[in-house]
Amino acid sequence: MKITLTVNGDAYALDIEPRRILADVLREDCQLTGTHLGCEHGVCGACTVLVDNAPVRSCLMLAVQCDGKSVRTAEGLAGPDGEPHPVQRAFSAERALQCGFCTPGFLMVAAAALEADPAMGEDPQRVHSVVASNICRCTGYEPIRRAIVRASNEMTAPPTR
Amino acid sequence: MLTGQGRYGADLAVPGCLDVAFVRSKVAHGTLRSVDCAAAREVAGVVGAWSAGDLAAAVHAADGVGDLPPVPYTVAAGVTTHEAVAGREWPVLVTDRVRYPGEAVAVVVGEDRYRAEDGAAEVSFTIDPLPAVVTPSAAAEDSVRLFDGLSNVALRAEAGKAVDDAVWQGAAAVVEGRYRQQLLMPTPMECRTIVAVPEGDRLTVWSGHQMPYRLRGELAALLGWPAERIRVVVPDTGGAFGSKSPTFPEYIAVVFLAVLLKRPVRWIEDRMESVLTATRGRGQDQRVKLAADADGRLLAYELNVDADVGAYPQFGAGVPMQTVYMATGAYRTPRVHATLRSILTNTMVTIPYRGAGRPEAAIALERSMDVLARKLGMDPVEIRRRNFIPPESFPYQTPTGREYDSGDYAAALDLALETMDYAGWQAERARRRADPSALPLGIGLCCYVERSGGEPDGVFTFAGLEAREDGSIIARCGAAPSGQSHETTFPALVAKTLGVDEVRVTLVEGDTDEQPVGLGSFASRSAQIDGAALQHACELLTDEAKARAAKLWGLPAAEVAWADGAVSATTGEASVVDLAELVKATGPLAVFGKFQGGMAYPFGSHAAVVEVDPELGTVTVLRLVTVDDCGVKLNPAVVEGQAFGSAVQGIGQALYEGFEYGADGVPLLSQGLLNYLVPTASEIPPITVKDTSTPSPTTRLGAKGAGESGCIGTPAAIINAVADALLLADPDLLQMPLTPDVIWRAARAPKLREEAAGETPEL
Repeated sequence: MKITLTVNGDAYALDIEPRRILADVLREDCQLTGTHLGCEHGVCGACTVLVDNAPVRSCLMLAVQCDGKSVRTAEGLAGPDGEPHPVQRAFSAERALQCGFCTPGFLMVAAAALEADPAMGEDPQRVHSVVASNICRCTGYEPIRRAIVRASNEMTAPPTR
Repeated sequence: MLTGQGRYGADLAVPGCLDVAFVRSKVAHGTLRSVDCAAAREVAGVVGAWSAGDLAAAVHAADGVGDLPPVPYTVAAGVTTHEAVAGREWPVLVTDRVRYPGEAVAVVVGEDRYRAEDGAAEVSFTIDPLPAVVTPSAAAEDSVRLFDGLSNVALRAEAGKAVDDAVWQGAAAVVEGRYRQQLLMPTPMECRTIVAVPEGDRLTVWSGHQMPYRLRGELAALLGWPAERIRVVVPDTGGAFGSKSPTFPEYIAVVFLAVLLKRPVRWIEDRMESVLTATRGRGQDQRVKLAADADGRLLAYELNVDADVGAYPQFGAGVPMQTVYMATGAYRTPRVHATLRSILTNTMVTIPYRGAGRPEAAIALERSMDVLARKLGMDPVEIRRRNFIPPESFPYQTPTGREYDSGDYAAALDLALETMDYAGWQAERARRRADPSALPLGIGLCCYVERSGGEPDGVFTFAGLEAREDGSIIARCGAAPSGQSHETTFPALVAKTLGVDEVRVTLVEGDTDEQPVGLGSFASRSAQIDGAALQHACELLTDEAKARAAKLWGLPAAEVAWADGAVSATTGEASVVDLAELVKATGPLAVFGKFQGGMAYPFGSHAAVVEVDPELGTVTVLRLVTVDDCGVKLNPAVVEGQAFGSAVQGIGQALYEGFEYGADGVPLLSQGLLNYLVPTASEIPPITVKDTSTPSPTTRLGAKGAGESGCIGTPAAIINAVADALLLADPDLLQMPLTPDVIWRAARAPKLREEAAGETPEL
């Protein structure tokens, strides 16, 4: 089946089997392996990507369901000039990753929440609901929580010069 | 890793790489009657399909390899014994007897995983089920045997001397307990991976693995090749926690298929396969007996372990010896006797999982300490203080055969109590006990000692440094990380030791071509052993640099000094030459050396405060304080991050995680992460991570192993807190994980005071 995906701003004209999940198409057909598969049954969230700006488990979505849609992955978080996304900077600063395997999924749920409302970091409940949506086996989550708050602070801070 | 540029096993772009899918048994125990792969071979995109017989025949017919061998084993670190393995062969694919659910009966290779799975669905096979045994007690009866003519008890061992009856009879207090250490799934977020790439007469194997040198050596032996023909590379690895050390049967199938087909072949395990067939951790049924005199001084401790080691003894029949050796704990108990029976059951094998035998030892002893304190009417803090091995007693020879290197156990306990506000929580507990409407609150402690670095046969490694003309320094060591921040910690250590800028140092590890000798990363050894080896290599490098400068300048070696990454003459005309300039003047400078370290004994105290809801059966951890001592820390932030994450895994064992099998051996929790409950952010209590620092005299850097502390210290602290809250007459009712069902039932059982008063408990 022929579809067109726009991934991180680049158009991909693909001819794929309808049964292929979005994660596999991103990883293999688009060669964007920053999206990781941790459970393939929608629980761990490592494979989370943004489809038309909404976070989805790319293991539970068929690629053909995304025909004509815009997909954003961890590779597409940095700015066009390569400037890291605030959430990437914050994850680094707070040591919010150890093995790094779940990290792309956490980055994407965090980026979606922060881009929808940069001030969400002020509300502990909302931060918690973002962190609680995915599984990390290394960090114990606290550094991830701190990173989201830090990114929110950065995104809402008045510009300095 | 933050930009999607990490490269894990499944991310490697290998042109023409084929995928395998395994056809797996649904039953736990049975006789395999037939396997027919013919239909699978007709499926579009399927390259081939093999039963055990097919694969053996294909390998036999192939040039350049011997016959298909069984799964190998090592007796290094005592993980198993030759006697345990004798007569209990583990075939790569099932030949005639299925012994655990998910054991592979056939393998299918496809152009991609979809096609391989299409083919796997077409393989037909017949298994006549046999009765299964899934608990050590049932298996030990030998009424159902996994291997005909052989007992299910694969190994018996002990440490310490049997305690004389007179000691128990003369004791003021003796307590007994039965504790179940449930089976846990290590659950790294990345499942197992292997990519085998034939290149000329060599084979490159990429695998998220903790022991690349063991993997290279075992694969070479299996193929009948010299080790030099195999290169093992460990790419980014998404966690391991002990579960990625052996040469798994699936790996052997993949490697032989790559050699047979002369094409790259990979196996990327998915989570549902992992749930069925990845190794488990823990799995012990324990009986304990602890005696003290009227002052609470410990007289004797007896620990009997029946360990569930799974269906085959190759990977871990000896691992529970870590529990036996560490039975003594933090106390100067004069008589300690620990025994082990490693028992085969119809489950996937049990191997090290973060903590690896030490959590089981700590939980058994520390639960017993609380029961004893209650029996004697003593404060749990006081009874521990009274029995700690004092700081001046080190090195301390334990009755169970360990020589503890250093420790100040009371200091860790004091810091934990101060941090948690012990007196404040005692007051709150008293208030609630007087208020029938308040939810019960309990305080629990666990004072543990563990072991790091490995066993005596493996506390060494190799490391090297290479200084280049451009000023860069390549550091090589034999470790293989899976998320422990080696790339942060080790270059910083080298830079600091040499006195150069960190950016000049690049770490190379986890590649058997780049660094041909080493062991890997396990047993919390990397900082303690590989870190020390890198520090040792720094000395070799500065010695060589000074010798070269002396020769260059015509000076005695004693008149050349090293400081801040440069050599200088200490006499005559002052001359300072940077390392890079020295290399330009005198040629390539590379040093390499073996480092022999020692075992170390980290320790700590964890304290938990919990609130129990007897109606809902829930446990809310109100406060968790962890104080760990891993000697000198190379990077405190890294250690703290691991301590925190480890404590969360400890919470998982105490309250949420457990892998259960039905009587037929079929897993009851087969829905992957849907019902194997690893902690999420919603389960994280307020945790304070603190540390004390008692350097190890046996290790070069003074560093002991870090990272397993939470799995070892946290579970018993939480269980003890729940027991304290519920004041159970029979604390054995609290078996992990403390699910709402366990708590609800326990909350309705007789209470300590009620029993003492002879009252009938309210039901």
